[in-house]
Amino acid sequence: MSTNATPKEIGAIDFGLMNPEEYRDMSATKIITADTYDDDGYPIDMGLMDPRLGVIDPGLECKTCGQHSGSCNGHFGHIELAAPVIHVGFTKLIRRLLRGTCRECSRLLLDEHERDEFAERLQRARDLDDDVNDVTKAAIRQARKADRCPYCGEEQYDVQHEKPTTYYEVQDVLAAEYPQLIAEAMQPDEEEDRPATSPQELADATDIELSRINDILGGEFRPREESREAIERALDVDLSEEDLNKLMPSDIRDWFEAIPDEDVEVLGINAERSRPEWMILTVLPVPPVTARPSITLDNGQRSEDDLTHKLVDIIRINQRFMENREAGAPQLIIEDLWELLQYHVTTFMDNEISGTPPARHRSGRPLKTLSQRLKGKEGRFRGSLSGKRVNFSARTVISPDPTLSLNEVGVPERVAREMTQTMNVNEQNIEEARQYVRNGSEAHPGANRVIRPDGKVMKILDQAKEELAERIEPGWQVQRHLSDGDIVIFNRQPSLHRMSIMAHEVVVMPYKTFRLNTTVCPPYNADFDGDEMNMHALQNEEARAEARVLMRVQEQILSPRFGENIIGAIQDHVSGTYLLTHDDPEMGGLPRFNETQALDLLRATGVDTLPDDDGTDEQGRPYWTGRTIFSELLPSALDLEFTSSTGDRVAIDDGALVEGTIDEDAVGAFGGEIVDTIVKQYSETRARVFINEVASLAMRAIMHFGFSIGIDDESISDAAEAQIDESMENAYERVQELIDTYENDDLESLPGRTVDETLEMKIMQTLGKARDSAGDIADEHFDDDNPAVIMAESGARGSMLNLTQMAACVGQQAVRGERINRGYEDRTLSHFKPGDLSAEAHGFVEDSYRSGLTPREFFFHAMGGREGLVDTAVRTSKSGYLQRRLINALSELETQYDGTVRDTSDNIVQFEFGEDNTSPVKVSSSDDNEIDVDEIADRVLAAEFEDEGEEFAGAQATNLSESADDRMDRDRPSSPIDVPEVGDD
Amino acid sequence: MVEVSQHTLVPEHRLVDDDEIDALLAEYDISRTDLPKIKRTDPALPDEAATGDVVRIERDSRTTDRAVVHRLVIE
Repeated sequence: MSTNATPKEIGAIDFGLMNPEEYRDMSATKIITADTYDDDGYPIDMGLMDPRLGVIDPGLECKTCGQHSGSCNGHFGHIELAAPVIHVGFTKLIRRLLRGTCRECSRLLLDEHERDEFAERLQRARDLDDDVNDVTKAAIRQARKADRCPYCGEEQYDVQHEKPTTYYEVQDVLAAEYPQLIAEAMQPDEEEDRPATSPQELADATDIELSRINDILGGEFRPREESREAIERALDVDLSEEDLNKLMPSDIRDWFEAIPDEDVEVLGINAERSRPEWMILTVLPVPPVTARPSITLDNGQRSEDDLTHKLVDIIRINQRFMENREAGAPQLIIEDLWELLQYHVTTFMDNEISGTPPARHRSGRPLKTLSQRLKGKEGRFRGSLSGKRVNFSARTVISPDPTLSLNEVGVPERVAREMTQTMNVNEQNIEEARQYVRNGSEAHPGANRVIRPDGKVMKILDQAKEELAERIEPGWQVQRHLSDGDIVIFNRQPSLHRMSIMAHEVVVMPYKTFRLNTTVCPPYNADFDGDEMNMHALQNEEARAEARVLMRVQEQILSPRFGENIIGAIQDHVSGTYLLTHDDPEMGGLPRFNETQALDLLRATGVDTLPDDDGTDEQGRPYWTGRTIFSELLPSALDLEFTSSTGDRVAIDDGALVEGTIDEDAVGAFGGEIVDTIVKQYSETRARVFINEVASLAMRAIMHFGFSIGIDDESISDAAEAQIDESMENAYERVQELIDTYENDDLESLPGRTVDETLEMKIMQTLGKARDSAGDIADEHFDDDNPAVIMAESGARGSMLNLTQMAACVGQQAVRGERINRGYEDRTLSHFKPGDLSAEAHGFVEDSYRSGLTPREFFFHAMGGREGLVDTAVRTSKSGYLQRRLINALSELETQYDGTVRDTSDNIVQFEFGEDNTSPVKVSSSDDNEIDVDEIADRVLAAEFEDEGEEFAGAQATNLSESADDRMDRDRPSSPIDVPEVGDD
Repeated sequence: MVEVSQHTLVPEHRLVDDDEIDALLAEYDISRTDLPKIKRTDPALPDEAATGDVVRIERDSRTTDRAVVHRLVIE
């Protein structure tokens, strides 16, 4: 937007028909010639390229508004049509009106009572948000039933619509061969036992004079309506014939002009804004040249837009029409020209009408006219408005960087040099601004452009940068490169929830990928197998402030989906904290660290002094336990007690971990208790620091212990192997027994099952148990320090089932929830006998992944695996579409200040938000869902009386952005105002 | 015939008198048609409910003990 333009506010938008008078009023000029440019290449006055319609050539001035190309939006012109034509967009509505109103007096064919009733129904439909069309359609249906107008008594005829723009009245007229028909009916008919009728008898029966009857029989007189009906009655014949009477657009216009305003109101039309006769065009608006620019080809020839071509056609026919009419051409020719004019105006608006050949370019390509510009995927709505390309955005591959804060994003320097932030130069920052300009656009913290106070934009070129820097004054603007600490928006598709778009602080880095802290992977659902993400640089102070306050990653730690944290330790972080804090007597109790080791563990955190040691070793050197070190990261007054998923009690007393192992339930993403509690009792900033430090500590810890997994970690002893083999043998025996019983017809069916189903179920059960017992045997064999066990136990990755499959037995493969039954006739593979019901013939995999699968097992395993693959593919697309539709349906709902949830038309959806007026992220997430009022009161009181002199350790940053927030206080709970909302009751 | 309104899972539907409706509409500054709707044919409605009436539905809620909703009866 240019700087001197006054922004305008849109008060309302009206949709309706436009009065032709309004077209003429707003028209810059009447268009009368089909020519565009004269021989010298200048636009012809009152031609299609009239300079009053706007300018497209740079340098020229608009004759209407005086502005130059770029700032002049263009102005409409108009063509006076020689005869009215129908607007294709309204053919259905025109048909409805023709059918529902009187051909004579134009009133709606409903009596007053009916009319009022429909008006009332229409109002109700509007109030209840029902479909208004249902009512108006019903009103027309009712009106069509009337044979005669209830007001003037005129007989009504059916109106036929021949697509796209022709209307006929269907009238009953006297058949052409009426004398023959009457004469035939007067002949005697023996089959029907009918005597002959003499003309005298007919005259008596119909009250028509005999001479008239003779005239009629002679074809010299056409009987009028009453006499025709009398003859029809007397002779029991049908003398009528259907005749189509074409309604010309001018007739329709006259008809519609007489429809009273009150009558169209019942049909849902606001007559003040949209008179029905305006659907018949008498004047055609000519779009400004800016909407149909002509292009100059390389050879200097001008190529016109499709719309211009179409307008040329319209004007040519329009002129021919007028000339012919003035010359008094026969009606037939006039009608042909009228139809041609209708065709051109129709295709000008829509060139894809069924039943009409599309207007074509000389090359045979169909023209792209108004409707084609708007419709479809590449159209104005879906293509240009919803699908806008944005500036100041970047996209590249993402990769992990554990040294970044979760609030940050690493931005490649190349991206940072391309994206700019506008700096308003003033006395305070002028030196800084000059330095950016001096650095130029090639060096990193540089600038790309400067804007003078008069709005002139100047590129910073390498040759002129020094000179330009000196010219900078307060009031100028400098578009400097994106640099450390700027806030940007970061996004990964599909954007399924609000945490898919979050604000990050920039850290400019070498190389070509966006870098992010691994703890923000869950909200984005990102991994680093080639994922790409988008970044948007914010362009005004308001947006930057809003992003920082509302969208920063730390503000999104709690998910509104389940009210607990979605950001937390993942994978190796969890293994790390587990190793650090796990007390396993077999592994020598709690891990101990000497001073060097302890300091190394805490190196990447904000903790810079060690706490008191936990004791001394044999040589008298002090040591610290893993729990003590972990406790350093906790707020000093934190009290917390919970049960981890393994059933262990975890107790934190006064900021010290006194009991229990820290695993996924404590610090993990998706509801880690400690993270959740810190966000709710302290602040988002404290939680962010905690998560960052846990991640750093865990990485240090896991590197201290060393953590790897190899094939030998899943191998088990020969003894255990033998045990597993034995249990497998047993299972096979039991399956064989089942099969034998079945074959002897001794198997008793389970309730509601056939014998076959029972057998299948029992076999599946037996084999399931066999795998489980094999797993148990293997589990017993594995030590607690086995990496796979550690990962499963801590919740970092994998489960005991995965371990069982790796070490002991993969188990039964299933397709559609059954053992594998497909393949050949009565058998799965040609390796088996037909009818073989045994385990190995139906996809039981006895081997483990480590020992390797036999070819047959491998084949069955692939069958089961394929089903899983197809399932997920189908499920994601199905659930994605379902989610999309749900979101579209709910997206307009909004919580109002009175606590109600309403849609855009003010209908109430919920009287209280969520029935309890409570935000899920503000509510306590403890299991019993109870709010401990005493606990909150204690905390608030403690905060109130706490002495404020205490300097807290480690408030300074571990990362760049860590120091950028004054809300951070390591050890103090949040102020009373931030206490989670309790609700009224 | 099963009387659905007696079923444990069907919450109480009670017709609301005019005074109460007026108070409700005044409280939220809405007209009747802004209320959520319920079909006249809904089996949970009391038999005497007619189009245009307002019912008060009081049901158990997962988040609060009782949740109250008013609905406008439509045809």
